Amino acid sequence: MAILSGRYGKVLYDPAGTLPVEIVSISSWKMSQKTDKIDVTCFGDTNKVYVPGMKDCTGEFGGFWNSAERALWAAVDATTPGMLQLMPNSTEPTFFWEGLAYLDADIDTAVADAPKITGTFSAAGPWTMEPPITP
Amino acid sequence: MTIAVDSSNIDAALVDLLNADASLNALLPDGTFMDEAPPGAKRFVIVSVLDARDIPRFGGRAYEDTLYLIKAVGLSMLNPNMKAAAFRLDQLLDDQVLTVTGYTPMMLHREERVRLTEVDDIDSTIRWYHRGGRYRVMQAIPQV
Repeated sequence: MAILSGRYGKVLYDPAGTLPVEIVSISSWKMSQKTDKIDVTCFGDTNKVYVPGMKDCTGEFGGFWNSAERALWAAVDATTPGMLQLMPNSTEPTFFWEGLAYLDADIDTAVADAPKITGTFSAAGPWTMEPPITP
Repeated sequence: MTIAVDSSNIDAALVDLLNADASLNALLPDGTFMDEAPPGAKRFVIVSVLDARDIPRFGGRAYEDTLYLIKAVGLSMLNPNMKAAAFRLDQLLDDQVLTVTGYTPMMLHREERVRLTEVDDIDSTIRWYHRGGRYRVMQAIPQV
């Protein structure tokens, strides 16, 4: 095992929620899995005290507009969530996060640049990390 | 997966495009060259790379973004028509589609105008006129 670059990252999606395929012309993704913290600070505590609440799972990916790749735009109008898979490096294809997600999309077009797209996702079911971490 | 591309093809496509134009050749009969003209050339076009960036996507290069200096150069003693030459250059390049082997054209346009007069290093009575512009070329690499 070694630290790998993000050059061979991948974002995959399947509207049917089963077998994700790569969304092409993507150059970045990020995911956030922050857990809400509930403030349970009491009289006499010497600092604030929290207990964990629910874990969130949201994120985004970005790349370039490619007229041959419109999976993101189809996902925007989907009434059911699709399976989204996020891979840090496709040379280690067994390592990824995946789960059902709803997607939103943005496109940014400027006169002197390539049109850029951004997909934003929100979990629509349990998300898992593969391979699972065993305690 | 990315198709292998040859970045020099972009340079060559520009040179070929300009060399193929009869109007430009009539104004600048010595032709168009990358970086420097051959000895003895007096009216010509020089194409040079000012800045070249590879824009990545996952798994390879999404597109190449290159800024070229493309200018007509003329020797004062021949009274070259620099105005017409620069205008013709711009007609051929600004907002045109540059076809390059292995790439998909994205953009070709002028970003800045260039005009200057250079005193000859050896004979200070001679002037070299330079007129043209900085042109941005974006070419996408097809993904398979």
